[in-house]
Amino acid sequence: MYLSSFLASVLEQSAPILLAALAAMITLRANILNVAVEGMMLVAAFVAIAVGSATDSAALAFFAAVLASILMSQLLALMTLRFSADFIVAGLGINLLAAGGSLFALEWFYGTPGGLRPITFPDIWHVAPGSLSFIPVIGPAIERQSIILILAFIAIPLSAVFLYRTPTGAYLRAAGEDEHAARAAGVSVVRMKAISLAISGLFAGLAGAQLAMDKLHFFLPEMTSGRGFIGLAATLFGGGHPWVTAAASLLFGFFGALGDRLQAFSLPSQFVLMMPYIAAIVGLTLARWRIHVRNRPARIVVEGSA
Amino acid sequence: MTNADHILRLSGISKSFGEKVALKHVDLDVRRGEVHVICGENGAGKSTLMNILAGIHQPTAGTLILNGREVVISDPIEASRLGIGMVHQHFALVPSMSVSENVFLGRNLRKWGVFADKAAMVARTRELIARYNFRLDPEATVGTLSVGQRQRVEILKALAFNAELLILDEPTAVLTPPEVDELIGVIAGLREMGRTILFITHKLREVKAVSDRVTVIRHGESVATHETGSVSEADIARDMVGRNVFLVGRGNEQARRPFGPTVLKLSNVSMTDSAGRLLLKNISLEVRAGEILGIAGVDGNGQTELSEAIAGLREIQAGFIELGGRTITEASVPERQSAGMGFVPEDRLDRGLSKTMSVAENLAVSNYRRAGLKRGGYVDQDRLEAFAAEKIREYDIRGAVPESPVSTLSGGNMQKVVIARELYRDPDLLVVCQPTRGVDVGASEFIYARIMAAADRGRAVLLISSELSEIFALSDRIGVMYSGQLLRIIERKDADEVIVGALMNGSLEAAA
Amino acid sequence: MTAARFKNSVRAMYAPIASILLTLALGFLLVMAITDDPLQAYRDLLFANFDSLGSFALFLNRATPLTLIALGVIFSFRAGIFNVGGEGQLYAGAIAATVIGVTFAGLPAIVLLPLALMGGILAGAFLGWVPGVLKVRLAVDEVVTTLMLNIIVLLFTSYLSNQVIRDTKSYGAVSEMVPEKIWLPALPGVPGATSGIVVAVLLAFATWVVLFRTVWGAQLRASGTNLRFANAVGIPADQRIIVAMLIAGGLGGLAGVLYVLGIGHRFEQNFSPEYGLVGLTCALLARIHPIGALATAIFYAMMINGSAYMQISTDVPRSLVDLLTGLLVLLMTARLATPKTRS
Repeated sequence: MYLSSFLASVLEQSAPILLAALAAMITLRANILNVAVEGMMLVAAFVAIAVGSATDSAALAFFAAVLASILMSQLLALMTLRFSADFIVAGLGINLLAAGGSLFALEWFYGTPGGLRPITFPDIWHVAPGSLSFIPVIGPAIERQSIILILAFIAIPLSAVFLYRTPTGAYLRAAGEDEHAARAAGVSVVRMKAISLAISGLFAGLAGAQLAMDKLHFFLPEMTSGRGFIGLAATLFGGGHPWVTAAASLLFGFFGALGDRLQAFSLPSQFVLMMPYIAAIVGLTLARWRIHVRNRPARIVVEGSA
Repeated sequence: MTNADHILRLSGISKSFGEKVALKHVDLDVRRGEVHVICGENGAGKSTLMNILAGIHQPTAGTLILNGREVVISDPIEASRLGIGMVHQHFALVPSMSVSENVFLGRNLRKWGVFADKAAMVARTRELIARYNFRLDPEATVGTLSVGQRQRVEILKALAFNAELLILDEPTAVLTPPEVDELIGVIAGLREMGRTILFITHKLREVKAVSDRVTVIRHGESVATHETGSVSEADIARDMVGRNVFLVGRGNEQARRPFGPTVLKLSNVSMTDSAGRLLLKNISLEVRAGEILGIAGVDGNGQTELSEAIAGLREIQAGFIELGGRTITEASVPERQSAGMGFVPEDRLDRGLSKTMSVAENLAVSNYRRAGLKRGGYVDQDRLEAFAAEKIREYDIRGAVPESPVSTLSGGNMQKVVIARELYRDPDLLVVCQPTRGVDVGASEFIYARIMAAADRGRAVLLISSELSEIFALSDRIGVMYSGQLLRIIERKDADEVIVGALMNGSLEAAA
Repeated sequence: MTAARFKNSVRAMYAPIASILLTLALGFLLVMAITDDPLQAYRDLLFANFDSLGSFALFLNRATPLTLIALGVIFSFRAGIFNVGGEGQLYAGAIAATVIGVTFAGLPAIVLLPLALMGGILAGAFLGWVPGVLKVRLAVDEVVTTLMLNIIVLLFTSYLSNQVIRDTKSYGAVSEMVPEKIWLPALPGVPGATSGIVVAVLLAFATWVVLFRTVWGAQLRASGTNLRFANAVGIPADQRIIVAMLIAGGLGGLAGVLYVLGIGHRFEQNFSPEYGLVGLTCALLARIHPIGALATAIFYAMMINGSAYMQISTDVPRSLVDLLTGLLVLLMTARLATPKTRS
C-alpha cells in the first residue's frame, strides 16, 4: 500500500533524527547545549562499519559503535567539566575531531578517502516481512525496519520515565534548572552533567549505528549530513520534553520523506530540508517574544474612575 | 549553665577571603530551645557567619562546638547530618518541581531501588506539613507558590531531616507584613516543639517580637549579647551602629550656606513590575543646589528602582522627573548626562565599570568629548594617558597605571575611578548610591570629602545608602525608603538613629 | 606601548602558544607512528609552502578567507555575541557575488565589480544582522540562530548551485564561471595568489584601529564586556552591537566574495574546508585580537596548505590537519578561558 510505504519511509527518516533529538534533549535538561551530537553520530557510524566489516558480526559492530560514541561524550565531559572548557567551542571541537579523525582513518588505514564500502557486511536484525501484516497500515510500515528503529521508539517513553520517575532524572533536571538549589541539596551538578553526556553518547551512538547499518552498509565522510543539528533543532522546538521532542522529530522525518516524494514534482528538496532549522529559529523567537511581552511593567490603573 | 544546655558554641571564629576580612572575632552561644537573633548592619558579617554554620565556608580560625563536641562542618550535607537546617535568603528551590520533590531533592525515597517513590514522598511531606501546621499542598508546583509559601517549603526542607538547629537568613527580607506575622507564628510554634532557632535580621521590630536573646555583630565582631526582654530597640540600634565618628561631618555644623534653587524634582513617581506590583509608590522629592539629600533604608525597599528611574535606566509608569527645571521623564541616559546628571551606581562591578577594560578607558568612557580626547572619531592616546594619569593623582587611586585593567584595583580604588569619572563633568546633580560599600576606611573618607566638596560648590547630591552612619555624616536632610515609599523627609538636626531606624522598619508610630 | 602593556601582551600569548605546541607535539607523535620520515613530514607540513612560488600562492589564498572570517568573529565577540555563523556568512557572500556576476554578465566591469562586491558583503551582513537583532531585542540565543542559519544558507546555496546557476558542462554542483572581467588581479609577483590577501591584511590592521583607537570601538568593547555598564554610562549599546554584527557578517561575506572573484572564479558547493569553524578557532586562539588573528590565520593556512605537500612526499594523509584542528580546538578551549563566557 502506498500509505504504508510512505509511513515506512517516514519512520526510517525519523529514526536517526529522533535519536539525535533525544541525545540533545537529555543534555538540554542538564542545561547543556550539545552541539557535538553530530560528531558523536559520525564516529559511531564509522566504527560500526569498520568493526562490522572486520569482525563480520553485527552485534559487535553495534556495541562498538555505541561505545565509541559514549567515549566521545566523555571526552567532551572531561574537557568541559574537569578542564572548564566552553561547552560550545569544545562541542564544535568534538565535531571537528570526529570528522577529521574518521577522514584520517579512512586515508591511513583503508586508503579510501571517499568512504568505507566493505564488500560484505553483516546485517542487523530487522522486523521480519509479513510478520505484522495483521495490523493495518502501520504493520507493514514497521516490517523491515531495523531493531535500532524499534529501540529508538522505545527510548521515548524510557527517557520520560528516566527524567520524571527516577531520582537521578530528578537530580539531573534540578542541576539543569537551578544549580544553586541542586548544590544546596547535595546534588553533584558535575556528575549530573557527565551522566547526561553519557546518555547523550548512547543515543547518538544508536543514531550513527542506525545510519550506517540499517540499509546502507557503508560509511561516507559526511554521512550524518547535519542530522545532529536537525535533532538539536527538534529538541529546542520541543522545549526539552520527550514526547513533544519526539513529535517534532517525526514531523521533520515526515517532511524529509515528503521532500523525497516531491522531488518527482521538481520541488527542490533543499527547501523542505531547510524547514526544521527555520522552525527552530521561529520557535525560539516566538518563545522569547512571549516572555518579553509578559515581562513588561504593568500599566497603572487610575483609581476612582467611573 | 553547663555545656549541655548550649546546643551551639562558637569561640573566636574568624574568616578571611584572601585579603578581605569578613569576620574578625565572633563568640556566640546558643541555648537549646531558644530563639536567638543575630543582628547587624549590612556588611557586618552576618551572612558569612551563617554560611560557616551551613557548611558553605570554613572558618579561618576558631572553634565550633555542637552539642558539646567540637565539629568541622565541611559541606551542606555534613551540616544536615549534624542536625543543622539552613533556610537561605535566596531560596534554593527548583520552580518546576513540586513541594515534595523539592523537600526530597537529593534524598529521594526509592521504589524497587530504581524508581522514585513519589507516593511515599508526598505522604511523608504531608505528614511533615501537618506536624508543623504549615498549610501547604505537597503536590503543588513551587513555581506557582507565593514568596511566603516558598519560604515555608524551604523551612520544611530544613526540618525534614531531623534538624535540631534551624538557621534562617534574613527571612523577612522578602515578605509582606502579613506574611511576616505568619512567619513569626511559625517560629513560635517551632520553638514550642523544642527546636532551636537562630536567625539573622536587622529589623528591630521583629527582634523584639520573637526572640529570646539577641547578639549584635558589627564589623565582623560580636559586640554584645542581650536578653531581648531587657533591651530596647534603641539600645540594639546603638550597638549595631556603634560610635562611628567621621571627622568631616556636616550635620553638626551650624549655619549652612543657604541652598539654591531646586535641581532635581520628582513628582508622584510610581513604578510597577510585570505583575502589577508597585515598586515605587507615589514618590515626590526635591533636592536643591548645594544640598545633600540622604535616602536611608534597608536594601530592597525600592532604592535601586529609584536610582535607576532617575538615571534613566528604568521607565516609570506615573509621575514626572525634572532636572534643572527641564522635564527628563522620557529622556535617554545621554540626554540626562547633558542636562547635568552624574550617576554612581550601587554596584560598581555590575554597572559602574568594565572589569577588563583599562583604568584610562573606564575613566574616559563618557568623557571623551569634554576632556578633548577625541580627534575626529579617533582617540588621542597621549591625551588619554595624560587625562588618566591626572585623575589617578588627583583621586589618589592606588596601584593604578592608565593601562592596567581596572580589575587589578582594590574595591576602594575602583570606586574612586567611578566617582572620578562622574565628577569630571561637574554635574549639577550627582546621584550616588552605596558609595562606600566594600570600601576601606581611608578611601571612604576621601570619597565623603569629594561628595561634600561637590555640595559646597553648589551642586545637588542625592545620596542613597543603607549605611546609617554615612547618611548621618553627610546629609542635610534625610528621607527613608520603605517598601517602595518615601516615608518622611526630616532635617538632619531633627533626626537620630532611633527615629530613622524605626522608619527603616516601617514603624511610623514609633517615629512620631 | 609601555613596558607594562608589552609584558601583559606577552603573558597573554603563553596559553595559545602552549596549545599550539602541544597539538603539534601530539601530531608529531602520531606522524612518527605512521611514517618512517616524520621530520620530513613536518617539514613539508609547515615549510613546503615556501618552496615554490606556486605553493606560496596557494598558501596566501588559504590565508585570505581565514583572516577575514576571523576578523568577523572578533567583531562579534567584542560585541559580546557568540557568533558561530562564519561558514554561512562566507557562503552567502560567495553565492551572492556569483549570482550577480553571472546574471548581470553583460554589464561593464566598472559597474559589475562593485555590484558583486556590495551584493556579497550585504548578503553576509544580513546574516549577521538577524542573530544580532534577535539577541539584542529578544535575548534569543545567538549560538542556536547562527548555527541554524549556517545550515539554511548551505542548503540554499546548494539549491542555487544545483538548479539555478549550474554549469551544466562541468561535473558536480558548480556554478558557471563568473565573467573574467571582474576577476580580481593576482598579487604582483606571485602568479596564482589573489590580491585579496592585501585586503585581508589591511582590514586586520583597520580592525585593530577601529576597536582600540576609536571612540566607537571603545563603546563597542564596553557594551560587549559589560552591557549594564554601557547602559549606565549612556552608550547606545544596542546600536553598537547590531552594527558590529553587520560588520561581522559583512566581513564573512567579503571573504566569500574575494574567494569567488579572486580564487575559485566560480561557486562550488563544497569550496570551504570548514573555513568558518577554523576561522573561529583562529580568532579564539588569538584571544580575539585582530593582529593575533592574522598571525594564527597565517599559521593555519600554512598547515592546511602544507598538508597536501606532506601527503605527497611522505604519504601521511592530509586529513591529519583536520584531526589536529579538532584536537587543537579542544585543547585551546580547555587551557584558557574563552574571551566571552556564555551564561
